[in-house]
Amino acid sequence: MAVVCFGKSLSRAGRQLLNVTVFRSITRASVCRCPAIHRTVNSTIPHAQRAFHASQPVMVTKILSMEEIFNKKALHDYLKKKEMEYNSCLQSLNTESQTLDDEHVKINRNNLSVLGPLVQKIKELEEKQKELEDTLDLLKDNDPELHELAESEKEACLAAIQDLRQQILSLLIPEEESDMSDLVLEVTAGVGGQEAMLFTAEIFDMYHNFAAFHGWGFDILEVMSSELGGIRRAAASISGPFSYKKLKFEAGVHRVQRVPKTESKGRIHTSTMTVAILPQPTEISFTISPKDLRIETKRASGAGGQHVNTTDSAVRIVHLPTGTVAECQQERSQIKNKETAMTLLRAKLFSARLEEETSKRYLARKLQIGSRGRSEKIRTYNFSQDRITDHRIGKTVHDVHGFLQGEELLEEMIVFLQQFSEQESLMDILQDCDQNQ
Amino acid sequence: MFKTIWFLNRLLHRNSGVSKHRGVVRLWSNAAEGAVAPPADCSITAEQAIRCWAQHFTLHGISEPLLSSQYIISHVLGEKTLECVQRKRLRDTLTDRERESVWELCSKRLTRMPVQYVIEEWDFRDLTLKMRPPVFIPRPETEELVSLVLEDSRLIQGESHRTDLRCLEVGCGSGAISLSLLHSIPQLRVFALDQSQTAVCLTMENANRLGLQDRLEVHLLDVIKDADVILSKCNPVDFLISNPPYLLSQDMKTLQTEILKFEDHSALDGGLDGLSVIRPILALSSKLLTPRGRVYLEVAPCHPPIIQQLIEEMMPGLLYLETRCDLTNRPRFCILQKKGEDG
Repeated sequence: MAVVCFGKSLSRAGRQLLNVTVFRSITRASVCRCPAIHRTVNSTIPHAQRAFHASQPVMVTKILSMEEIFNKKALHDYLKKKEMEYNSCLQSLNTESQTLDDEHVKINRNNLSVLGPLVQKIKELEEKQKELEDTLDLLKDNDPELHELAESEKEACLAAIQDLRQQILSLLIPEEESDMSDLVLEVTAGVGGQEAMLFTAEIFDMYHNFAAFHGWGFDILEVMSSELGGIRRAAASISGPFSYKKLKFEAGVHRVQRVPKTESKGRIHTSTMTVAILPQPTEISFTISPKDLRIETKRASGAGGQHVNTTDSAVRIVHLPTGTVAECQQERSQIKNKETAMTLLRAKLFSARLEEETSKRYLARKLQIGSRGRSEKIRTYNFSQDRITDHRIGKTVHDVHGFLQGEELLEEMIVFLQQFSEQESLMDILQDCDQNQ
Repeated sequence: MFKTIWFLNRLLHRNSGVSKHRGVVRLWSNAAEGAVAPPADCSITAEQAIRCWAQHFTLHGISEPLLSSQYIISHVLGEKTLECVQRKRLRDTLTDRERESVWELCSKRLTRMPVQYVIEEWDFRDLTLKMRPPVFIPRPETEELVSLVLEDSRLIQGESHRTDLRCLEVGCGSGAISLSLLHSIPQLRVFALDQSQTAVCLTMENANRLGLQDRLEVHLLDVIKDADVILSKCNPVDFLISNPPYLLSQDMKTLQTEILKFEDHSALDGGLDGLSVIRPILALSSKLLTPRGRVYLEVAPCHPPIIQQLIEEMMPGLLYLETRCDLTNRPRFCILQKKGEDG
């Protein structure tokens, strides 16, 4: 039996949740599957073993089913705790309304409104579970008509319970502010020369189709193409509901293993490309002061205006406080180049800020976002074996050509990643709660 | 000149394996005059043509040699910028027609003709406009002038009771400002004037090509000589906009050849102080504007304080609102307002 643990970063409760046996003596020399944590562990413990590779994913974590999640004691404890909080707020508001000051009352009222829906759902779930028990009792009866009735009741109950559980989980997992954003997608060819650039073009097309599949807008901001029709670098602005939420885990290094078009001897090559996902803030939520920007154009010298006739409309914007740069020369119109450069700049600045805010939360996660995950090899596309493997969660799917169409197969993978991420969020919450006790 | 020919021979030979020297020699013999015949049996790719002509432009002291070459050849290939052309396409041999076209257009550039006149078009904000000498070529700063108008929320949102907004443009040139405004403000009607017949025709041509002709009237009128006619035809307007000639006469001789040789001087020369057209425009505005209607002007960087003083001393009906800078941080735009009934 493989014994694996994630090193010191997980709490006791966390490890219990994952049903993994832990021996205290080997927590130091940990063998980690997760590259992110492996790195942290490795840096402090020089003689730790190397992470073993995901060609045969070790099922250390998998997506737990609803039932498994709800069987966890930690979850039950957490829900109970929330109920207690709710009741105590209620009580204090009812009995001490005269003696408490406004601030207290306000806090209690706020807590009530936040916890209210959750507690309501918990009650409903308990009722439904009671109902299910009663129905199961009925099933023991031998009367065939009653049996049939009880069966259908049972089905209805189970469906309702499943639904309520999902709702409870949704209430528990916090919404991230940026989930509502649009995004800028950047693709860059990595190792592998022309083949890498061809692969980059294929991936760019895949996301283009994916955007169409969801009815999102896809505006190309810049494209640097290569001699053979590949892409060196490209960026597009994607806009639509939940676009960022869905694509945020696509960031990282994608790897392809196949016989390249440019290969004469039929050897298999490995090439890479990088995807960066930058959330795009709305005007209101993220403002950049014009004073912080230095806009560079070619008209800087001389008197400008009517005095000069030039066709150089490239614009380069530097954000002085952070040194972030964005430029564009895609258009003949200077103002359009400026707008595109601003879009790129805002996306870069916003995602940098977002990272600062979320980095603590995502520290121990498998699914990284932002530049932290930028150099992680997240996925391998193996043409000869016709499979795609996501290394972070150890999931393998088949039909590479179908996947690259950017429709159902990609959607499936993304939904899976989302569920995984939600679970990681949930574990964090339960862990925090556990640690605070 | 022979050095040129020799050099270019070496270049073509090295780059594309051209075997017929003779064709190439014939090709460059008229280089200095600008009218050049394309090489007869020469096969050349777009990429090579770009490099070749960029070097040729450099040799002849043409400004922005690489950009000129890129824009012209991209245009021949049906694209606006080099970035838009598929990389594969650049390595394809040019067809005979393409080659002839490239040579013809690049030869024009050799005469210092601005690229915008060579390819007969240019972009302004969201529009692509036809360009024709000597009608003034829109500058990037003027794109920002249009932004200033669009920022004025009174004109865009609200005003639901207004079914039409009226604007006067003085010196419409190719129609860049008027057509951009018409494009962005659906309820706008524009009266555009220019004292050049070619400009009037070009504005109308661009309006027709963009389908904006219904809300536009273009008149051949001079703001200095025909002020009364303008008043009777266009009164009143909600705002006035202009990029009038604002260069000082003494600066005219320092202009680059592209401008001096090909663009209409009367679209550039603003007299001794650069205000010879601006003054009549301001005088007109106080009579033409509705109360609190605005004037948006593009000017030379030295003008704003002078204009401010001018208004205070000589035009009591106008209020100087603010000066705005262009992207290079030069004071470039003046916004004025006609005082309301309450003064």
